[in-house]
Amino acid sequence: MNIFVLAEHRNKQLRDTTWEALSAGKKIAADLGSDVTCLVLADAVDEMADKLAKECPKVIAVEDARFATFNSEAFMKALVPILKDRGPFILLMGNSNAIIDLAPGLSVVLDAALATDCFGLEVQDGKPLAVRQVYSYKVNTTVSFKDSERIVITLRAGSFPYALADSESGAVEKIASPLGDEPLKKRFLNYLEAEKGDVDIASADIIVSLGRGIGDEPDMEVFESLADTMGGVLACSRPIVDKSILPKYHQVGTSGIEVKPKVYLALGISGAFQHVGGIKGSPLIVAINKDARAPIFRVAQYGIVGDIYEVVPALEEKIKALKS
Amino acid sequence: MDIIVCMKWTPDTSEADLAIAGGGKDIKKDDLSYDMNDWDRFAIEEAVLIKEKTGGKVTVVTVAPEDAEEMLRESLARGADEAFHIWDEAMEASDGFATARLLAQFIKDRPHDLVLTGTLADDNCSGQTGGMLAAMLGIPVATLASGIEVENGKVKLRRELEGGLYEAIEMDVPCVISVATGLNEPRFVSIRAVRKVASLEIPVLELGDVGLDASQVGSDGSRVETVSMSLPPEGEGAEIIKGKAEEAAARLAEILKEKGGIG
Repeated sequence: MNIFVLAEHRNKQLRDTTWEALSAGKKIAADLGSDVTCLVLADAVDEMADKLAKECPKVIAVEDARFATFNSEAFMKALVPILKDRGPFILLMGNSNAIIDLAPGLSVVLDAALATDCFGLEVQDGKPLAVRQVYSYKVNTTVSFKDSERIVITLRAGSFPYALADSESGAVEKIASPLGDEPLKKRFLNYLEAEKGDVDIASADIIVSLGRGIGDEPDMEVFESLADTMGGVLACSRPIVDKSILPKYHQVGTSGIEVKPKVYLALGISGAFQHVGGIKGSPLIVAINKDARAPIFRVAQYGIVGDIYEVVPALEEKIKALKS
Repeated sequence: MDIIVCMKWTPDTSEADLAIAGGGKDIKKDDLSYDMNDWDRFAIEEAVLIKEKTGGKVTVVTVAPEDAEEMLRESLARGADEAFHIWDEAMEASDGFATARLLAQFIKDRPHDLVLTGTLADDNCSGQTGGMLAAMLGIPVATLASGIEVENGKVKLRRELEGGLYEAIEMDVPCVISVATGLNEPRFVSIRAVRKVASLEIPVLELGDVGLDASQVGSDGSRVETVSMSLPPEGEGAEIIKGKAEEAAARLAEILKEKGGIG
């Protein structure tokens, strides 16, 4: 089985997801005894192809202005003719927000089996298995691809760390863009930045962060008061923004803001990976949650399993006492 | 505009205590309550908002066991015009691909300018249905849509990228849009609205009605298969501070003070 890794880029730069997918690709290629090939489709492909060739023995590069952004329609149309005559394969990509648009449709048109957002890969009896999470990200599951000869796997960010080795001098095969002249039905217009607010949680040293567990009608005064006493700011996970309890610029996570405070106090946050991806830089993570199995306890250093509305007021009292 | 909304009936696992079922390939579901997938609530709301602006018809459809009728009724109360319930025992254990195939079969012969889904479902966390459906129907797709505008037979939308960045995209119709949570504010459903739709008929479509056979659905029609499921070990990671709320809070306050968590 050949292993292909699709390079992802934005604003003419390769993204880290590319190197992580390559890391996963090398691991599974070693287990299966197969070769790794990077695929890079971009508007200006040479520099990216050269970078990839320093890490990977074989690179296929395709240049076309329509690959300037990660337009899933253009990528899908191009990847089918590139991959269809290359025998059995596993195609690996990052599970980024751009690739979420691409991978499912691509698997259909390639007649491939698909597993998304995988954080582990194994080989058993010569066949690949993928490990991912289900049920609110609280349960781990291993999936097989039956007897599929074409497999597409997307990988969770941060699961396959990679250090650039600069140890290969791979061959770059440049092929002509297979895209025809017919117009795309999906068109990129422009990038937009998120709205900025009156607090900048990215630069805060102390963050009190709120999640779904604070309830549908939270008593915000309790949390504002704790944040004040601690000298910190309020932040939150996605459900709090979805419910319009706090504005978007308070949201921590991969689709929100990445933070690196000295102390991150997570209240009622389950710890879905999108959230955890935004707090990796915090030296101290403390979680209070009533669910002992909440994933947040696996990234926190300290935790309390209990009712937030009992623990938080008590905590504020104790902090006040220590301050005086 | 003819809008078809695909919905999923999911167990509420976010706050529940979960256990692995005998056989080790799924969780115990008997004690879990089921509801409309969180993401899909924003999809049905958006469909109704678009209909209210442009006119047209909203159709909801699900592939789910009998109990899911409750979700379809709720969707009608939220403003959908008609609902279809696809189910047959043979469809049990369908993966994303087999489910998308069922939905595509249902959609392909019906008028559809817009097909809406949630980007993810809280049970399998796969995010596959929208993209697969679009490829099966031969139309474009965008996921994680956090703002949608429909004008002159085109759709403009904003989709989330990472780190607070968005991209604006334009698509021709027909197309599939998988929505992000927080796209809109799902309306409150009054008891009156629920009563109004209580007697509407919801057709149930079995395997033959959608034109597929048993080899194309369920585990036979699936391309991936669950080998095993397990709960990550408890207690791995954080040091859990024991004791009553008072005591635990006192200990935590000391830790915070020590680590610079009191500014």
